[in-house]
Amino acid sequence: MKTFNLNLVLNPFERIAGFQALGWGLLGMAVSTVICYLSGWHYHGLLHFGPAPNPAWWCYAIEHLVVWIVPAVLFYLGGLILSRSKIRVIDVLGTVAFAQLPLILMNLFNLLPPIQNMTKVDMNIPPAELLAQPGFLVGVWLSLIGVVFLVWALVWMFNALKVSCNLKGYPLGILYCIAVFGGDVLCRYLIRLCY
Amino acid sequence: MEEIKKRLPLRCPACEAPLKVGRMFCEQCNTEVCGSFDLPLLARLTEKEQQFVIDFIKSSGSLKDMAKNIGVSYPTVRNILDDLIGKLNKMEEL
Repeated sequence: MKTFNLNLVLNPFERIAGFQALGWGLLGMAVSTVICYLSGWHYHGLLHFGPAPNPAWWCYAIEHLVVWIVPAVLFYLGGLILSRSKIRVIDVLGTVAFAQLPLILMNLFNLLPPIQNMTKVDMNIPPAELLAQPGFLVGVWLSLIGVVFLVWALVWMFNALKVSCNLKGYPLGILYCIAVFGGDVLCRYLIRLCY
Repeated sequence: MEEIKKRLPLRCPACEAPLKVGRMFCEQCNTEVCGSFDLPLLARLTEKEQQFVIDFIKSSGSLKDMAKNIGVSYPTVRNILDDLIGKLNKMEEL
């Protein structure tokens, strides 16, 4: 009987890396770009998502590329400094691209009407009025479920760094925080140039 | 009755210090040799690590082939190897 392997759900990179991961990651990115284009939901950074003024398809594609390349470059540079292993660029690029696959599920949630309606609501109105908006609470709950997939992607990013750069302990934690939070700031700056 | 597979103990069960070989004997003539001998470097590795070394040699040192054979990714095999190299270096320094 096949047993459910939780470790594989949390860390698929023990089994997949390199070109194979890159292929799946790029395919996922293409799918994700189409879904985002249909939902009008933009990547503002690594950790920030929402509507944006540029509805062109290339803007969505560039956002996806930036959100992939920036953390991958930071992981690679950090790995070169901190790791004692010989790191391959293809492993870093592949695993980081693959790590973003759970975001497809988050983006699918953004296609749902309650979340689509939330983007049209004026957030400056009083809270009581905000809650009275039709489908607003459902939208909030669905957004929270969407956050689970973001957390999942972040766990995969952590394991992507751990496996592709062979890091452990403090160097792993510190580099991850710098690459994710610093990468988010850098991504937001670069993506803003598209608007 | 199924034969019990005995594992070579590497550490003292009382104080966790590395064990040394104190006694060896010839099964054929029962001659015994006593003394204090260090275990060879590879014998001091865990069973899993020894299996990794065997798989590595059987794959002619190709990490790509080894990853394919044991069904894990290339960086995972490379990481195990790098960790093993680190462990062997530390053991040699002691």
